[in-house]
Amino acid sequence: MLGRSILRASNRAIARQSLGKSTRASSTAAGAEAASSPFYLTLTAALATAAAAGSTAWYYHLYGQEAFAMTPAEEGLHATQYPWVHERFNKTFDHAALRRGFQVYREVCASCHSLTRVPWRSMVGTMHTVDEMKAFAEEHEYDTEPNSEGNIEKRPGKLSDYIPAPYPNEEAARAANGGAYPPDLSLITKGRHGGCNYIFSLLTGYPDEPPAGAAVAEGMNFNPYFPGTGIAMGRVLFDGVVEYEDGTPATTSQMAKDVVEFLNWSAEPEMDERKKMGVKAVALLTGLFAVSVWVKRYKWAPLKTRKIVYSPPIGPRR
Amino acid sequence: MGLSDFFSDVVSSFGFTEAQAEAPVQDTETETTTQEEPAEKEESASVESVETESAEETPAEESSEEAPEEEEAEAEEEEEEEEEEDEPEDIKPKLEEECAHSAVCAPYKHHYDECVERVTRQEEDEDYKGPKEDCVEEFFHLTHCVTACAAPKLWRELK
Repeated sequence: MLGRSILRASNRAIARQSLGKSTRASSTAAGAEAASSPFYLTLTAALATAAAAGSTAWYYHLYGQEAFAMTPAEEGLHATQYPWVHERFNKTFDHAALRRGFQVYREVCASCHSLTRVPWRSMVGTMHTVDEMKAFAEEHEYDTEPNSEGNIEKRPGKLSDYIPAPYPNEEAARAANGGAYPPDLSLITKGRHGGCNYIFSLLTGYPDEPPAGAAVAEGMNFNPYFPGTGIAMGRVLFDGVVEYEDGTPATTSQMAKDVVEFLNWSAEPEMDERKKMGVKAVALLTGLFAVSVWVKRYKWAPLKTRKIVYSPPIGPRR
Repeated sequence: MGLSDFFSDVVSSFGFTEAQAEAPVQDTETETTTQEEPAEKEESASVESVETESAEETPAEESSEEAPEEEEAEAEEEEEEEEEEDEPEDIKPKLEEECAHSAVCAPYKHHYDECVERVTRQEEDEDYKGPKEDCVEEFFHLTHCVTACAAPKLWRELK
């Protein structure tokens, strides 16, 4: 131990000495040059600095400030942030709410909006049982494969079928809704700025009467959250439109919350599984980290516990 | 094999309860029967009473008007209860109304009210030839403040 410390101390002392020498040498040299610096060098540096500052200022003058041509009414009111439980990183969907939300979609939204990317089977196990979903699917008719004579017949729906659209194509939908196309709701929470908050605000945000002076076109309704504030869809959710099977009071905001959660599920049905994978990954990585710490200690043990001893040779005294 | 068996045994020994999609069969059956039975009894009882009292002259629908007062009162009570159940009141407008009158949103409310008053006066005045105005921006500011104030309260009430 003593030997080691002596060795270190001597090493440091040598390093310090050599460093000190070198710095002193360089500083003296630089000082000598600065004293004899010519005027044109100082001028060049000052001009370059002024040019840099000037070009930056010019750029900011030209492009720095964004021009906002849109009025707030054209942008639409920014949706309020609601404390959604399923958006927390450690919470799943409320599957009772999903079940209620699907009921709201089925009884209210489905008359105009399609949900074409969701098959009946995907709700089995997440909000309904197999038999319930089969019953829902069989309420709708689907085309069969062409039979031996080439005719296409109808058959009741199966679990593997996708939820049928209310209109055969976009033109039919527009014709039935006064020129407005009800968007497909499969990915609507991902396809709109604000997501869940926007849709909830849109559904519940119809004021009793538009604010004074606001221009509302014929056949349109005033909704502050819709960009342009004129929306073709009227208010559809009224208290008690739906009767929930689990006895939840079907208020407007309750139905909106449920259907938004359902639409969020239809946009990302993998969310529960994804969060589960995340916890799995955290568990695995912490385990691996703990293992690596122990392995490091094991591998370094011989190095950390070694002792270097210098025993000077015992020679004859001078 | 031995190692995986060991791990599965360890996991199963914790006794995690698996979430079942299917509800237990027995419970639902008993629940449905208990729910249906009294309803059927009530219906049959009411039908019987109606039939016994005025089966001779009028059909069942008209006879309910002539039924005794007690039954009418009961029926009214039932209807009222049904109405209450059918149309629950939404708490959101009430919360937002409270928020609009709170101190936080008072300036926005003040501006909006002032704007509404001004614009309605301009609209009513036929001689007014100034620029046309609307209160959409004031409404936006007020609504934004009010919904942000009501959001946590609303979520506490909703299921």
